[in-house]
Amino acid sequence: MEFSSNVFSRAARCLLLSAALLTTACSHTVQVDGEFPQPVGRQHPLTVGIYLSDEFSNFTHHEDSEDREEWNISTGRAQKNLFQTVLGSMFTETILLSSYPQNLPEDVELVIVPEVRELQFTMPRETRVNIFEVWIKYDMHAYNPQGESVANWVITAYGKTPTAFLKSQEDALAQAINVALRDAGATLFTGFEQVPELQALLANKRRALSMKQNESAEEQPAD
Amino acid sequence: MFKSLFVFSLALISGCTTVVIDEYRRSDGELAAGDTVVILGRRHSSEYETEPDLIDCVGRELHDPARGVKVIPEKHFLDAMYPWFEPRTAPMHLRSLDRLLEIPNVRERMEAYGVKYIVWIDGSTETTASAGSIGCSIGTGGAGCFGFGTWDKESDYEASVWDFRDQELSGKLSADAKGTSYMPAIVVPIPLIARVQNNACKGMAAQLQQFLLPANGKS
Repeated sequence: MEFSSNVFSRAARCLLLSAALLTTACSHTVQVDGEFPQPVGRQHPLTVGIYLSDEFSNFTHHEDSEDREEWNISTGRAQKNLFQTVLGSMFTETILLSSYPQNLPEDVELVIVPEVRELQFTMPRETRVNIFEVWIKYDMHAYNPQGESVANWVITAYGKTPTAFLKSQEDALAQAINVALRDAGATLFTGFEQVPELQALLANKRRALSMKQNESAEEQPAD
Repeated sequence: MFKSLFVFSLALISGCTTVVIDEYRRSDGELAAGDTVVILGRRHSSEYETEPDLIDCVGRELHDPARGVKVIPEKHFLDAMYPWFEPRTAPMHLRSLDRLLEIPNVRERMEAYGVKYIVWIDGSTETTASAGSIGCSIGTGGAGCFGFGTWDKESDYEASVWDFRDQELSGKLSADAKGTSYMPAIVVPIPLIARVQNNACKGMAAQLQQFLLPANGKS
């Protein structure tokens, strides 16, 4: 009896160990840590508050379907870096908000709040093309100081990386995500002024600034 | 004697790559002292990607300050000009480059780098065919492999040379390389790799050097 219970407990242990091994073998974790360059270009004449929520800054995409192994892809840190860097260079002044809509600084003219709508990826064995591909979609919201919506627009980003010899799936996917994030930054920077509501807001602001300059020039006595 | 013959024949087989370079030139090279060259990969296609290591290789081979060719590394340039040369935003034609230079900061930075030529490389290296099989086994007496494998690779690249200062297309180069790699396995697998991409890179870099430098060799 003792013999059979020993055998049973050993078998159970082996089974547990193999199950644990199998589970870890089928589970993939990707931590994306991207650093992004400061954009070069015209700055918009606005004081902008940026609110990156905890959900956004710690975003992890979890996928566990029948067709795929389990994937946990953490893009929060990288996308936080990206939005801070890009939005920080886009305007004459930016203020990183720790909370919103509470405690909004007085001089803020616009508040930008990004949200992740969707993240998708494909692996080479699924598409039979030797590249890893990633798509990320962001919902962008802009509010005035009173908390009213000024504009909502969508940023879609795409990144790919070829399969490389001796590179793990996780590394390749992280690289493709970094490419997609760079693309998101490029779209955010170049597309901001294409959003009609923001285009109008910027035009009004430029007009106001230009009138102010003219008035101060007229007030100055002629030599 | 047999050993040396075997090694010699292996060396001969491993060098089995052909490279064909074509050139279309619209103007002579005008690279002067202080000018720089940027080599960039086209990455807008969804079916392939111009390999960053190919771009690095061409840049390394071409970079020769003693002869007056200074190459700005691709990553460095892309970061410095972010976001204007990303796959989505990169100018596809000279007209678009003209529009890009209307942004004062962008123009100033390009001029600060002393960019004279922008070379766009588009293409990829692919495995076109493979055959054979190798079997390996392990036992109490030891381990070993037996069999034969072979695969063909093809590189197809096109380089467009833009004269940034004169805002014109200086010319185009194309590099087609083909090679077959072999892997005989008699106990130990012996890879005889045809360095197709590397040979395409060296061929393109050598041709680009002739292309960019003035004909009289003075910079």
